[in-house]
Amino acid sequence: MSGDGQAHAERIVGALLRAGVEIAASLPDSWLSPLIERISNEPKIRHIRVTREDDGAGVCAGASLGGKRAVLVCQNAGLLLSANALAGYAHHHQLPFLVLAVYRGSYEDRFYYQMYKGLVTEPVLDALRIPFHVVDRIEDVAIVEEAAREASLARRPVVVLLRRAALLGDAKAS
Amino acid sequence: MRRSVAARLMRERLAPSDVVVCGLGSTARAWREQNAPHPTYYASDPMGMAPALALGLALARPDRRIVLLEGDGDLAMNLGVLITIAGAAPANLRVAVFINDRYETGGGQPLPNAGRISYVTLAAGAGWPWTGEAHDEAQAARLFAALLELPQLGLVAVHVDAEESPYPPGPGPTSQAEDRALFQRRLSDER
Ligand SMILES: Cc1ncc(C[n+]2csc(CCOP(=O)(O)OP(=O)(O)O)c2C)c(N)n1
Repeated sequence: MSGDGQAHAERIVGALLRAGVEIAASLPDSWLSPLIERISNEPKIRHIRVTREDDGAGVCAGASLGGKRAVLVCQNAGLLLSANALAGYAHHHQLPFLVLAVYRGSYEDRFYYQMYKGLVTEPVLDALRIPFHVVDRIEDVAIVEEAAREASLARRPVVVLLRRAALLGDAKAS
Repeated sequence: MRRSVAARLMRERLAPSDVVVCGLGSTARAWREQNAPHPTYYASDPMGMAPALALGLALARPDRRIVLLEGDGDLAMNLGVLITIAGAAPANLRVAVFINDRYETGGGQPLPNAGRISYVTLAAGAGWPWTGEAHDEAQAARLFAALLELPQLGLVAVHVDAEESPYPPGPGPTSQAEDRALFQRRLSDER
């Protein structure tokens, strides 16, 4: 993976640490590889690999219940899969956590099977009334920290959708 | 065995400092009826998420032992969580699955392949270090005690009778979010 990916992962994990995140749940996407790798090597973050993204939402909700800040790192298809869990934790339990989701299926993508995800992610989050923010470039990485604070203040999960360029820079599409 | 008996056997064996997470359905109903003194969080809805929530709580509070009381329908909705938990291997998480072979609270319909599912085999196959299966009171008493003496993760599958479990008539005096806040207050006060 590109050197840019590692540098960007470094900055994103820096933002997570500044936000006080101590627990991360993840399920991979190829664009997330440097970030997940960096999280798994971070001694201040307990990293849990999950078999479904809604499990990750549950782990983050449980961590939040226990007083810790947590992040779910996944593909945007994982948000679609987690709709019931996200809505339940947002509106029924009111448990805050951060979600970093890679934004597959938009102009940066070269894969036809990703495109439907790009089409429906934002409308689904809107319908679920889960706040989300799109990070186009790594220069906007402060949004990660701010979204974590927003989640705590609002007592709800907040989603940050990370564009390919924010995760990997301008390296060739993969 | 009646589910209330299984719940009582568990309550009698818990340590005073144990924290309970409860899945939905008749397991929650049986546990509520125990009026146990332990801080308890009722995790559902969302259905299928109680084990993951219990895992997150166990990770956040390594100073407390978390005991998950779970229904078979709730667990079957998300069997992958058995792998996730085994991978994380929190030493302070214990699980008891109440097996009535039905979606009792949803109307009493059978689970797919009801009566032929082995949750201990599923858990062992997912890498759980310790499992036990109880078919009667004596076995449940012994295995709950063993579960709580373990120094590590473990799961007991306990077979209970199918008994009616209609949806509760209405909301209680507190909302889920209020219960959540009360639970958190109690856990932080006990620190
Ligand atoms: C995603 C979802 N699907 C269906 C339901 C409806 N439902 C509520 S309780 C329940 C049955 C739960 O089964 P189990 O965990 O075995 O509990 P019990 O049999 O003890 O009631 C169902 C299907 C739901 N709440 N959420």
